[in-house]
Parts: sequence; structure tokens; C-alpha cells
Amino acid sequence: MSGPAVVFDKVSLELGGTRILDNVSFRIESGALHCIVGANGGGKTSLIRSLLGQMPHSGQIRLEGESLGPVGYVPQVLDFDRNVPMTVRDVMALLTQRKPAFLGSSREHRAGVDAALKRMGVLEKELRPFGGLSGGERQRVLFAQALEPAPSLLILDEPCANIDEPGARIVEDVVLELNAKGVTVVWINHDWDQVRKLAHSVTGINRKVMFHGVPSEVLTWAEPKAMVS
Amino acid sequence: MNTIYESIRLTLQGLAANGTLPQAFTYQFVINALLCTLLIGPLLGALGTMIVVKRMAFFSQAVGNAALTGVAIGILLGESYTSPYISMFSFCILFGIALKYTQYRTNLSNDSLIGVFLSISLAFGASLLLYVSAKINTHVMESVLFGSILAVDYTDMNILLVVTLIASLVVLPLYNQMLLASLNPSLAHARGIRVRLLEYVFVVLVTIVTVACLKIIGAVLVEALLLIPAAAARNISRTLGGFVAGSVIIATLSCILGVLMPMQLGLPVPTGGAIVLVAALVFVVTTVMRTTLSRFRATGV
Repeated sequence: MSGPAVVFDKVSLELGGTRILDNVSFRIESGALHCIVGANGGGKTSLIRSLLGQMPHSGQIRLEGESLGPVGYVPQVLDFDRNVPMTVRDVMALLTQRKPAFLGSSREHRAGVDAALKRMGVLEKELRPFGGLSGGERQRVLFAQALEPAPSLLILDEPCANIDEPGARIVEDVVLELNAKGVTVVWINHDWDQVRKLAHSVTGINRKVMFHGVPSEVLTWAEPKAMVS
Repeated sequence: MNTIYESIRLTLQGLAANGTLPQAFTYQFVINALLCTLLIGPLLGALGTMIVVKRMAFFSQAVGNAALTGVAIGILLGESYTSPYISMFSFCILFGIALKYTQYRTNLSNDSLIGVFLSISLAFGASLLLYVSAKINTHVMESVLFGSILAVDYTDMNILLVVTLIASLVVLPLYNQMLLASLNPSLAHARGIRVRLLEYVFVVLVTIVTVACLKIIGAVLVEALLLIPAAAARNISRTLGGFVAGSVIIATLSCILGVLMPMQLGLPVPTGGAIVLVAALVFVVTTVMRTTLSRFRATGV
């Protein structure tokens, strides 16, 4: 079954008197691997946070589909007090289960969590303090949490920003696997070569929609880069 | 509940009379105090871990100061000055909600806003005290700040019990969501968590717990028991389970030892002070362990 289509309909957002998003409208098809590109400060993360229901915006953001399953989200970083005594296992429990994480992992999610950590190559780190991991390892754990429960919509905010080459390859493989199963992927991505290689569709944003379409068509000429930088 | 308290008291007094328990257990006020500590220790110990993670260390102190104003308002409105719970709860809950609302409107950090609200509530309370002092002995206000665990009555114990039950029923199912909401709101939103609602729930929860403990251990001690055991447990914990369990154990033991030790050893130390001193001693020990033992140093980053 395919994940939902995502429709941004005249979405505008203003923060502290500054226009962050201006009448943004585009559609991400069900089951698509869609990348959002653009310069820093162009409103990409704000658009994603609006999609997550975290930013007060005007206009509409709709998920369209037969059955809307879980949403997986991978933020750029997990900013928290690194001295809080939490192992990787604790973090996964916190994120995936209802049973209080301090009482241990729930049996219901254990297999799924193990599989997700294994897929991201961090299962052997499960008893390590989360705050003691390297930035790349933490990012892999963050990616793993988005896989449990299995998402129908996966939202990625530059998940490879702090990750090493092998980690980035795993991320790429996992994204492709999930997308092949019908998961809709919305991916903020700065790597235009990766976008050309992987994405079904792409939107360039710099407060407004600067371009939208199939990468092979809209990313072939020089102008797009200038439009979003 | 009073019948249950009575039967516990009679049992313990019987055991003290035949020498099984120390002599101190022959006194009703000691038994009442210990029953309170068995609720307050786990409650503040567990809640303290969230306070530390959420960096809301001074919130309970602000609520404690707001309670002074609440008591003053209650007395002015004719509420009993020995148990002004309605005015304390009402004013402090409004105070907590107003603080959180202002934070969302202004985006000021927790510590700045708590400092602002703490100052305002102190100034307001001090002004009202001028009027109240003509009506009652202001020593009542002192008990809000420092409490009197050896003078608790069944009303205080019942209120504490109800608040403990409410806190357990709210925190246990929402613990993960509350913690996640403060660690990463975006991630929490993506998982369908209503972040703002949970933040308000947490603030109200800390407020009612603080107010329920005020008359028993006082505003200063509530803050100490929310922070010191959690900080001590954090020093030597590697896991979230160890952190919470450690904090609960340290808080409960500090309370029990703080009540019993001055009496057993004949130390001229007030109970409240003794509780904080025991917790502080544990904190010092855990700090030394963390700085000297490699096993605990490895928990840091």
C-alpha cells in the first residue's frame, strides 16, 4: 500500500514580522520520493515543521490517501542535555513505546526496535550512553527511531548532515527500500547529485516555490541553483 | 483513610512498645511524618528527574513563593489560615499556567521567565503580607517556606495522598511523551504528541505536587528534594531506569533518615534541615564517585 500524497495549498508563514513562506503550493504524489532543495534560511525546515503541525501557518497542508499510517521523522539534530543518563535503548524506548522508558523496553516493540537499530548499524551500541555517541552515530539512532513503527510517510530534514560516508550510504539504501515498499518520502536535501539520482520529484524553495518537477527536467540547467541560493 | 492511618499508627506503636522498633515510633507525630516521607520521597524523587531534564530547577521555588501570595489572598478572603489549600492551589495553578502561557507568547527561556515570575510573586506576596499581618501571626507564612513535617495532620496527609495518586496516574502513562516533548518538540509532533498541552499538564502537575508538600516540608525543601536526589542519581547512573530509581531511593532515604536521625542520635537539627543535609551528603558522595571512579566517569560525555 502506498503512503499518502502530501498537498501544500497556499501555505504562508510569518515569524517576527518576517515572511518565511509565501504562498507555497505544490503536491507530492503518493509513494513518491520527493526532495526539497534550497538555500539556508529559505524556509525548508519551516515548511517541514508546518507539515508536522508545529508552526502556525495560513493555507492548508493535507495528507491524502486511503489509510494514513504512522509518520516517521528524522530531525537534523536531537538537541538535548547530553549528560542525561540515557542509553540508546532508553532513547528508542522513549520514542517508540507507551510504557515509561525508565521501566525498560516493551516486548511489543523490542523486535522492531532491534531490527531498526541493526538496519542502521548501531545495534551493538544499544547499551551505550546516547550522549556519548558521535554526531554520526546519534544521527543513525535518530534515523532508526523513524523506522519503528513502520512509517507510511517519512520526513527527513537533512539526515546526512552530520553523518559519515558509510552512514550516508545506509541512509540512502534504507530510504530506497522503504520507498520501494510504497512509503512516501519527503527529504530536505542539499546534495543535488543525490537528488538527481534518487528523487522522483523535487521542489526548490526560497520563501516561494522557485521550481517544481522531475529532477531530470528541472535540475538540468544552471538557473535552478541560482534561484534557490 | 483516617482509620487506615490509625491502624498503621497503632501497629507501629505496638512494635515500638515491645522494643522491635526504636522508641521514636511511640510518638504519633513521628509516624505521621514517616508516612508522609514514604509518599513525598518517591513522588519528588521521580518528578525531579523530569525537572532536571526539562531544566525547570527553579520552577518549584517560584511556585513556593507564589504560595505565599496564595495564602495571603486566602486569608484576606476569609479562608482558614491553618489550611489555606483552596487559595494556595488556585493561585499557584493560575501562576503556573500564566508562566507557561507567557513563555509561549514571548519565547523567553524557562530560567529567565521563572526568575521574572518569582520576583513578581514575591513582591506581590510581600505587599499583601502587610495587610495580612494585622489579622494573623505571620509565623503561618514561615511555615509555607519551611514547612513542619512533625506537625502534619490527617488533612495534610489526605491531600498529599490524593495528589500522589493523581501524579502517578498522569505521569506514568505520559512519562515518555512529556520527556520527548521537551527533548525535541518536532519529533514529538511527528509522533502525534500534543506538545503544548503536555507542557501545561506538567506545569500544573509540578504546581499541585509542590503545593501539597508545602505545609509538610516547605517551599525551600520541596525544591531541594526535587533537585538534589535527581542530581545525585544522575552522577552515578548510566540508564534512565537507574536515574529514576536512584533519585526515588535517595529522596526516600533522605526523608526517612532526616526524620529519624536527629531523634535517635539526639542531634539539635530541625527535621527539614536534616533531610536536606542527608540528601546533600549523598550528592557529595556521588560527585566524588563520579570524579574519581572510571566506571562513573564513563557515564559523562
